[in-house]
Amino acid sequence: MEEVTCYIPRTLDEALEILSKDDCTILAGGSDLMVSHKRTIGVDPRFSKSVMIIRNLPEIRKIYTEGGECHIGAASTSSEIAENPLVPWHLRQAASRMGAVALRNSATIAGNIANASPKGDTPGPLYLLDARVKIRSAKESREEPVSDFIVKFREIDLKPGEMITEVVVPLSEDDFDYVFWHKVGTRKANAISKVTVSMALKFEDGGSVVRDFRVSATATGSKTNRSRDVENIIIGKEISEDLIEEVAEAFDGIISPRAMPEFRRETCRRCIRRFLSEAERRRAAGDRRKMIDTYDGYHMPGAPEVR
Amino acid sequence: MEKTISFKLNGRDVSITRNPLSRLLDVLRDDFGMHGVKEGCSEGECGACSILLNGRMVTPCLIPLGAADGQEIMTVEGISATPEGDCVVQAFADGGAVQCGFCIPGMVVAAYSLLKKNPDPTDEDIRLGISGNLCRCTGYDLIVESIKLAARRGRDLWKK
Repeated sequence: MEEVTCYIPRTLDEALEILSKDDCTILAGGSDLMVSHKRTIGVDPRFSKSVMIIRNLPEIRKIYTEGGECHIGAASTSSEIAENPLVPWHLRQAASRMGAVALRNSATIAGNIANASPKGDTPGPLYLLDARVKIRSAKESREEPVSDFIVKFREIDLKPGEMITEVVVPLSEDDFDYVFWHKVGTRKANAISKVTVSMALKFEDGGSVVRDFRVSATATGSKTNRSRDVENIIIGKEISEDLIEEVAEAFDGIISPRAMPEFRRETCRRCIRRFLSEAERRRAAGDRRKMIDTYDGYHMPGAPEVR
Repeated sequence: MEKTISFKLNGRDVSITRNPLSRLLDVLRDDFGMHGVKEGCSEGECGACSILLNGRMVTPCLIPLGAADGQEIMTVEGISATPEGDCVVQAFADGGAVQCGFCIPGMVVAAYSLLKKNPDPTDEDIRLGISGNLCRCTGYDLIVESIKLAARRGRDLWKK
């Protein structure tokens, strides 16, 4: 097989121009593509079509806030996301626990989304926070919720000529009273998620009625799971043991884990019970600490604190 | 398809004409003789090939040569030629951090990268800093101790 063409554009415009003429594999960090296309020591990786390297495009490596939303450039690495205080807490948690140091300096947010793995670390928080991807081609620009953009296992809604340029996350964090993020992995670093649960909750001002509740889980189906119908069970009501059970069971109904299904189902149920009961306990006690741990109180050293 | 790619390697301007999709790991070893860059797992998990790209630790088994265009690279060879790098290497030798030695170049890069950012790390900071570097001999304890030794001995160096 012949070696394919490799483009290294210097600007975003140049990149979009190349994409309008040649349908390329877009390579950002390389942490997925260089592994899936590798052959052996000293032998070059083999790609089936042209490749465009966008790792160093300055336009898509910026993180900034605008209009109450956090804009994260497509080629921003996990380290840059984990370290940046502008980025919402759930996403920083996920980014800070991806792989290990060196991998976090390569892996990018757009790559994590485009890889469309059900075990990807960033989609959980991105679904939870109603994040969108900004997509551009030479002629057009469009936006789509991450939850629609990831169609299913390894399939994304990206047409030839298009590339992800930004991930936009609404900054609703201040609207949450309590937050939760828990990744079950076999070790603290270099762990692929066994199951990860992200949650957030807001009470009505000074009251005990739930104004907003959100829950998403990864590695529990062919893509990240979240359902507004499940969350609506408790929104507008006071938290009670019966309602917690109802939410846990309803969430169980929307997930479809393949391997170790009972473990994954039970972990989700327990996380939901823990978070909702602890949120209610803290509210009643006037405890304003935002971050709710699992029972073992496990917290990764170096991971960002809640603002 | 070949392209000429230029970058800074250990402070020197270099360029190479090669397939830009070649792994940076192969280029550093085969074309530039940087044999301190070790190949372990080939998929970014073991940290044996760790280098610094623009001051950030990365694994060149995951990086195509083309991504290095116009960037700055430091390998363990370049790092150990600096006073800070030498401090780490000496601390590893004196602290008994080395058994078979295969992971050590990557560990030195990780230790250097950690101490540059955090000159006074706790045990947890150190373990987190080398969490992507696998060692199958030492059980890590003497590596952690040696990094603490490097932090102590090089106090003035790191805080510069």
